Amino acid sequence: MSRSVWKGPFVDAYVLKKAEASRESGRNEVIKIWSRRSTILPQFVGLTFGVYNGKKHIPVNVTEDMIGQKFGEYSPTRTYYGHAADKKAKRK
Amino acid sequence: MTDLICVGAIAGAYGVRGEVRLKSFTADPLAIADYAPLTTRDGGRAFSVAIIRPVKGGFAARLSGVTTKEEADALRGTELYAPRDKLPSLPDDEFYHADLIGLVVLDTGGAELGRVKSVQNHGAGDLLEITGPGLKDSVLLPFTREAVPTVDLASGRLVADPPEGLFPE
Repeated sequence: MSRSVWKGPFVDAYVLKKAEASRESGRNEVIKIWSRRSTILPQFVGLTFGVYNGKKHIPVNVTEDMIGQKFGEYSPTRTYYGHAADKKAKRK
Repeated sequence: MTDLICVGAIAGAYGVRGEVRLKSFTADPLAIADYAPLTTRDGGRAFSVAIIRPVKGGFAARLSGVTTKEEADALRGTELYAPRDKLPSLPDDEFYHADLIGLVVLDTGGAELGRVKSVQNHGAGDLLEITGPGLKDSVLLPFTREAVPTVDLASGRLVADPPEGLFPE
């Protein structure tokens, strides 16, 4: 069952504080967070969060199309490398 | 840059008519046939590939020179390689994982940070996994123009300007 709309999106308070502080300072830094359950809000766009996966913080560069998802979705807890073969990476 | 790139492997025989079960590692699994002829790691054997149909865990395929089930069984576990030059050229700011892996990572001051171990993508953009003698654990660096301003494949190095807090002090 989906979350009631009247409650608004859930975000841990410390994530909001850290994001606000980082935005005010204007520094290029990774905001380390442990809250995988927090929703990505529009004010997080452009910031880089280090989302804990149980072992280390995975950098997550927040973009507009990620709004409404949870941070944990971008920080997998299991490792699978696969083969490089002809796979491509794009520098954004 | 590596000359040969592993694009697939033979998982064993498929049926009794000399067909093989082929695992494809390419981004588009069917594209493995485009890189034929595929060779073994030592280059001792070369195969042309005809994909017959998709099966569980890969494709049923017919390889040139393999006509019996015994021959197909003998190839179980063989990795198949394609030459690097067979991959089509890419536009600016796009790179093959195979080209990025192994590059030396330097900071903007010219000090070595480590080497690229793998390229990952968990949905929030590509990440370079960097390992080095000075790093206790591997570090993931976002593959963006800000964090990686220079990629020089010819000299085998890239310049990183990582955000604060990514690399240990």
